[in-house]
Amino acid sequence: MSESLHFAEHTLQEMALVFMGIVYILRVRWFLSFKAGKERQAATGSSNTTPKKGILYSWVNIAMPWAMESTRSKPFMYIQFIIFHLGVVAAIGHSFIVPYAKGLAASANYVLILQIFTGAAFLVGVLRLIRRFGDKYMRAISTPDDYFSLILLTVWFFCAFLAAPHNLVDGETVELTFFWMTAFFLIYVPFSKISHYLYYPFTRFYFGKSMGHRGVYPMQRGK
Amino acid sequence: MATKDRSYKAEKVIERLGKKLNRQVVGSLVGCVHCGMCTEACHYVLANPGDPTFAPAYKGDQLRKLFKRHYDWTGRVFPWWVKAKSVHTDEELEELKDIIFGKCTNCRRCSINCPMGVDLATFNRMARGLLVSVGIMPEGVAVVSKDQWEIGNQMGVLKEDYLETLEWMEEELQSEFEDDPSMTIPVDKEDADVVYSINPREVKYDPRTIADAAKIFNLAGENWTMPSEGWDMTNFGLFSGDDDLGGSVARRLYEKVIDLRGKKLVISECGHGYRSTRCEGPNWGQMDVPFVMESSVITMLNYIKEGRIKVDKTVNNESVTFHDSCNNARSCGLFEEPRELLNLVVTDFREMYPNRSENYCCTGGGGAMSMSEYTPHRLKSGKVKAEQLKATGAKYVVTSCHNCVDGLTDLIRHYKLDMKVTQLVNLVSEALVLPEKKVTIPEAAEAGLLAGKKILVVDDEPDIRIFFTSVFEDNGATVFEAADGDEAIEMARKEKPDLITLDLNMPGKDGGQVFEFLRKDDELSEVPVCIVTGRPELRRLIYDRPVRPPEGYLDKPVDEETLIRNSRKILELA
Ligand code: SF4
Ligand code: SF4
Repeated sequence: MSESLHFAEHTLQEMALVFMGIVYILRVRWFLSFKAGKERQAATGSSNTTPKKGILYSWVNIAMPWAMESTRSKPFMYIQFIIFHLGVVAAIGHSFIVPYAKGLAASANYVLILQIFTGAAFLVGVLRLIRRFGDKYMRAISTPDDYFSLILLTVWFFCAFLAAPHNLVDGETVELTFFWMTAFFLIYVPFSKISHYLYYPFTRFYFGKSMGHRGVYPMQRGK
Repeated sequence: MATKDRSYKAEKVIERLGKKLNRQVVGSLVGCVHCGMCTEACHYVLANPGDPTFAPAYKGDQLRKLFKRHYDWTGRVFPWWVKAKSVHTDEELEELKDIIFGKCTNCRRCSINCPMGVDLATFNRMARGLLVSVGIMPEGVAVVSKDQWEIGNQMGVLKEDYLETLEWMEEELQSEFEDDPSMTIPVDKEDADVVYSINPREVKYDPRTIADAAKIFNLAGENWTMPSEGWDMTNFGLFSGDDDLGGSVARRLYEKVIDLRGKKLVISECGHGYRSTRCEGPNWGQMDVPFVMESSVITMLNYIKEGRIKVDKTVNNESVTFHDSCNNARSCGLFEEPRELLNLVVTDFREMYPNRSENYCCTGGGGAMSMSEYTPHRLKSGKVKAEQLKATGAKYVVTSCHNCVDGLTDLIRHYKLDMKVTQLVNLVSEALVLPEKKVTIPEAAEAGLLAGKKILVVDDEPDIRIFFTSVFEDNGATVFEAADGDEAIEMARKEKPDLITLDLNMPGKDGGQVFEFLRKDDELSEVPVCIVTGRPELRRLIYDRPVRPPEGYLDKPVDEETLIRNSRKILELA
């Protein structure tokens, strides 16, 4: 392994992670600097709905595609969402496994699984790009950041797919591209819409708490 | 102060946005990933295919871009990258107004469909408040807010008119219950178990709901009262986003209940009133409310369950569906109780789909009924609701919200649906099993109950004229008929009747115009008038006129007994 690949797998990733961590901490501090609104009124709705249940329901809502009409009525979109996010987990995981668990990275099953996840995520990324560029509604709400983030991730999935076998015999270009992209991704994320997962627990916490207090969450659907 | 390139109002909006931000709102502003999953949750989108400016995320972005430009770091450093943008002119604020007031009813349907928990309706309301704070709002919002600030209720009902209406309804009740002394509408009674608050629309256009509620309270043996002041449980602050107005209105009512030492505040059937008073008022008013607050739906349901009133559901045997008010269902969790109550008072209840928290807005919410400039949009966007209604095949749609009553009535007319709107209080009142002796007309007197009286019946429907004429003539009256407004005036001048029954919805001069003419005519101004209408919402045709109110009201369909009783009452024969 060349020095530059070693640097990309280790030092570069660590620096990017530290940078991301610091920016995230600043981001969360900024977010928490806003006062949380309080609800003074007595709870409404059925006794099965409480702020605690509301929060829990709100957090796991995304894992219950039947709970929201938007996911229930678009199963294909929901499947895409799952595949895309599994792809992210797989590619990020790979950036840790290669430097710290080389044995596992070399296993054929691991390579196969990683390629399935990242390959599928890449295809979903392409579909999402088609949707974002082609759908009038999506274009109207998209920013350059939305397009760039999606392109970045889609290309990154592709690199992860190619880098999965970790075959250095024919050169290191693929590996180097993957690790440099991962580092860029980690640095870019806190400034982009990809940082949504940082806010997700908070937004869903407060929304769930309020809806639980008001008797709406857990949602009851009409029979 | 306005800066060189920014108007004073734009400057203030930016400054006040910073003060209004709280964690929940910031979460919703930064949390949107522009995934578009909420797009089809919005009735505006569904009814306006191909127009992305109705998409919830697009609408949300109009405030989001301002937030990003001034309060979020990426937007401050690279505004074009995240489409962050400031506002500079009043024209831009006007454009924002048309989106946040005209393209969203704050129904919260997109909020419950957002995987990220982005609550667009909440920050859209906040954006409304920002514009209102600099005087940019639809004219109707300005007028109604002013009435609520200055007169204390959002329809500008004066205290004397309110109290007169209560007296009038009490008289109606006593006439129905043969001077039963328990049939009263107590005002400002101290230490009551229930203080009942209403929507001013009930005073203006639908006093029957007050009488119906009073009947139910009295038959249940409730120790109840209505406040003489602060009685309006609606709150335009919810629609205008003005928390100061919201807080002040809510406190006015809470403080009156505390003054009266009331134990429970019962809120009549109104979605935004219930949400404002029960769920938001303590927050806007920064006040811990020391008494229980309850929707009248729950009160009526409990009366039946506790055996305090008895109902016979077979009386209400037409098919009925239920429309969930967004404020009740998506912001206060009130959706099972109305259904339970409905099943106790009607025989044929049919669900509408989707329902409960997933129900579509009636399109009259969010103050839309007061913003006439957006009416064409509103009616067009009601297509989704109209289709929902039609699919039920029901003859009646019941809703626990006065805004929805008006919104749905408009849709039913616009989409030519064969359906009527009613409320639970009316159905419960209809279904009441009354103590035996209460409703009778002395039989001996029946033959000549209206003997010697001249009555002019004005209605464009021949069937109604025939029915009224035969009832009046059978009771000894001399009857004249008119089929439209001009004929009515001509006949009234010629015959000088003792009583005029006047339909509101007629070709040519409508009932409101005829009524005003009669009231202003020197010779006819003292002739008592009884308004007869199948559409209570049209009563505004009367109330909005600068003349003395009519002596009586009757809702179609009218039965013989009610017609005679009311006519005798007006003619002071009863
Ligand atoms: S569903 Fe939520 S995150 Fe997605 S576009 Fe709508 S508001 Fe934004
Ligand atoms: S709150 Fe209702 S009207 Fe407004 S954007 Fe969301 S779904 Fe549409």
